[in-house]
Amino acid sequence: MSDFLLTQVINYGAPLIGLILLLGALGLPIGASVVVIAAGAFSQQGFIDWLHASALGLAGAVIGDTLSYAIGYFAKDWIHHRFGASPAWISARDSFNKQGGLAVFFTRWLVTAIAIPTNLIAGGSGYKYSRFILYDIAGEVTWIILYGGLGYAFGSQWEIVSEFLGNFGGLILGVAIFGFGVSQLIKRQKQNTV
Amino acid sequence: MTKKQKILTFIFIVIGAAAMIFFGMRAIRSVMRMRGAGPFGKPPPADQTDIALIRDWMTVPYVARMYNVPPDALFKSLGLADRENRKKSLKELNDEFYPDQSGVILAHVQAAVQSMQKQEPPPHFPATPRP
Repeated sequence: MSDFLLTQVINYGAPLIGLILLLGALGLPIGASVVVIAAGAFSQQGFIDWLHASALGLAGAVIGDTLSYAIGYFAKDWIHHRFGASPAWISARDSFNKQGGLAVFFTRWLVTAIAIPTNLIAGGSGYKYSRFILYDIAGEVTWIILYGGLGYAFGSQWEIVSEFLGNFGGLILGVAIFGFGVSQLIKRQKQNTV
Repeated sequence: MTKKQKILTFIFIVIGAAAMIFFGMRAIRSVMRMRGAGPFGKPPPADQTDIALIRDWMTVPYVARMYNVPPDALFKSLGLADRENRKKSLKELNDEFYPDQSGVILAHVQAAVQSMQKQEPPPHFPATPRP
């Protein structure tokens, strides 16, 4: 899939990058991060214009994130009906309302694998759209500058960067899952001793 | 802590630890590879010369630009028309013209680019592409 998209990015440039990032933000597994890194390399080689690619890419990603937030938002009543009384959901909703901004920001570029669930929870938990979009834009700008910039810096050797960032993202996700597990263990043990 | 909560917590810790080890090892290997590349390596030459970087998702005009060789000469050495093939990847060209031989177009493009950069005539393509 990525190889086909890379060929088409060469052929159709910035508008296609915008479309790919929109579809990626909606949850299609099309390797949007690989495309951002490659786009940086293609602009370094003079194949695409970095300003157009960045602007259309950012627009596509933000529109896609807004749509997935909207899916969560319009499913709010169903979620409330289904899980509204569940202590786990109430706790998740409350903690998202307190620290959701950081979750939105970091899942745009550091732990991208959980960006879609984060958007859905943001919309479904009633997290304010004005706050969501602020952190979303900050995160997407970081993603495009960091990933695209590394692609630009490494030029024709951009595939090494793509490999590293893919593995680094997996490592961070592993740390987050492990940390969550350990924190739950400590919390439960504290509850048991009280 | 109920038995179900204990099992779930255990699963989180095990999956997290496994992901940390698996991706951590791979990330370290990637860092080792990055050390000699891009801004951490030698300054890149004015024209790219490493033909191992040619991939089969690339198009002929892209390869020509990357290696600073004329695209029409590259198409000519492949025995292919420029206009109808310029948006096709090397893999698509291979699948279309040599469906029973994988990597023929890629190998020829690599050889042709190398010859053109040495100012030598590109090698003769051994087979006539099928329409």
